[in-house]
Amino acid sequence: MRAARYLFLFLVPAIPLVQREVDRRTVDDGRGALMYLRSGEQVRRLWPGLEDLAADLYWLRTVQYNGRERLAPSREPFAHLGTLLDITTTLDPRLEIAYWYGAIFLSEDVPQGKGAPLEGRALLEKGVRARPESWRLRQNLGFHHYLYLGDPAAAGRLMLEAARLPGAPFWLESLAANLLTEGRERERARSIWLHIHEQAPEGVFRENARYHLDRLDALDIVDAWNDLARRYTEAAGRPPRSLEELAALAGGRIPTVDRAGVPFDVDPRTGTVSIARRSRLWRHR
Amino acid sequence: MDTGRLNRIRAVAATTFREAVRERVLYNLVFFAVLMTLSGLLMGELSIRQDEKIVKDVGLASMEIFGTAIAVFVGIGLVSKEIERRSLHPVMAKPLSRDEFLLGKFWGLAFTLLVNVGVMTLGLYLTLLATGRGADPRLLIAAGTTYVGLLLVVALSLFFSSVASTTVAAICTVAVVLAGRFADVIRDMKQVAPETPDWLARGLYYVLPNFRTLDFKNPVVYGDPIAPAAVGLAVLYGTLYIVLLLAAAAAAFRSRDFQ
Repeated sequence: MRAARYLFLFLVPAIPLVQREVDRRTVDDGRGALMYLRSGEQVRRLWPGLEDLAADLYWLRTVQYNGRERLAPSREPFAHLGTLLDITTTLDPRLEIAYWYGAIFLSEDVPQGKGAPLEGRALLEKGVRARPESWRLRQNLGFHHYLYLGDPAAAGRLMLEAARLPGAPFWLESLAANLLTEGRERERARSIWLHIHEQAPEGVFRENARYHLDRLDALDIVDAWNDLARRYTEAAGRPPRSLEELAALAGGRIPTVDRAGVPFDVDPRTGTVSIARRSRLWRHR
Repeated sequence: MDTGRLNRIRAVAATTFREAVRERVLYNLVFFAVLMTLSGLLMGELSIRQDEKIVKDVGLASMEIFGTAIAVFVGIGLVSKEIERRSLHPVMAKPLSRDEFLLGKFWGLAFTLLVNVGVMTLGLYLTLLATGRGADPRLLIAAGTTYVGLLLVVALSLFFSSVASTTVAAICTVAVVLAGRFADVIRDMKQVAPETPDWLARGLYYVLPNFRTLDFKNPVVYGDPIAPAAVGLAVLYGTLYIVLLLAAAAAAFRSRDFQ
């Protein structure tokens, strides 16, 4: 009896220790074996009557997978994201959040997302087919066309369609009209990101919208600095070599740092001001 | 029904309930409590604005999963175990008809499941309230129809255990419950197997118990309007099927020779 007790006391901590050792020696990060079933219909057939619960589990898995890929990208970043989202939305075609946020996950540039805006569009189109009465999904498809596919005409058309659906907010029609008007690209993007920011809950999606708004503000400031730099070049006969030279001329009216707190860069050869590469607001395009 | 008959059925039902409690059937409620607490605490963080939906989905699905497991495995033992252990013989020697015995067993497990579903529903409401969500009264519709579905499973297991051994009854009950959950697949069988005769798909669809009819989880969780007539018809469907199965089980049990 006493021996059994000692054996028990030994085994309880031994099992997790052995497991930890197994995990340590496993080279595979586990993401390769993530998907055994790749068809939403197949998975749906395995959960008769419990499809909603399965959709929740797949959604949680999608969010975790996305978060993990953002923090520590695998060899093929976000490779399973599209499949996970397809399974989630096949299991519960009414889970609107999976279409919209899934499309963002898919469309944001690497490392924030998969960098596949066409996959994002396909997911949102699947949502619109499944929920033709949802103004929000159609509005989000419009947002997507504008923000990730650079197609304001399609975006405006989709948002007008959304505005005519029951329950649509009053401002959607004016937003659509704004998109169908030529020019003022940055203002249009800002108004869309503002709407997204207002509709998003606290967390990653609100942060993402905030990021884009901060970046648009930074681009406005960069434009103001570049205007000043042109005038400086004309007056001094050479481009400005640093922001300090320009700042003296601006008289404190233009911020010298972006919303991330990083000073703007000046190319001493051309005098062009831009968002600093070390700023989180910097992007390739 | 005369009072003596009712009393005898009630006595068998009470014994069945006590046996279930003694066999620690209701211990699953502890697991459910842990599950609800965890989902209430964690889902908000992990699911991005889907915590309320997930808590409701987990709660309602747990009622169905745990309830079905109890209904199948305890339900099968209600009659077949008594036969195999020969504990049925002294009971039958008492002034108790076989029909009364069977009905008593059914109501005993029905009450056990009622306690189970009732406590789980209460747990679901407490989790929603504790996480700052409203106590949606419509959840009672989903819980109620799930309960009728569970009674249907009990009736199925009683029927099979009246005509077959424990193992065969368990296999048949699980098979029919699963088939009943695939009712939509059976109805649309021609889509995957075009050569299937219409009469076969249609016949199977109507003969097998359709658990989809009793499933109101999705419209309840999404807040869709639910017509009282739809719930009433679903409950009527379940009740008719239960009565039919109990009648068949009683007929089989009456004609069975236990020597």
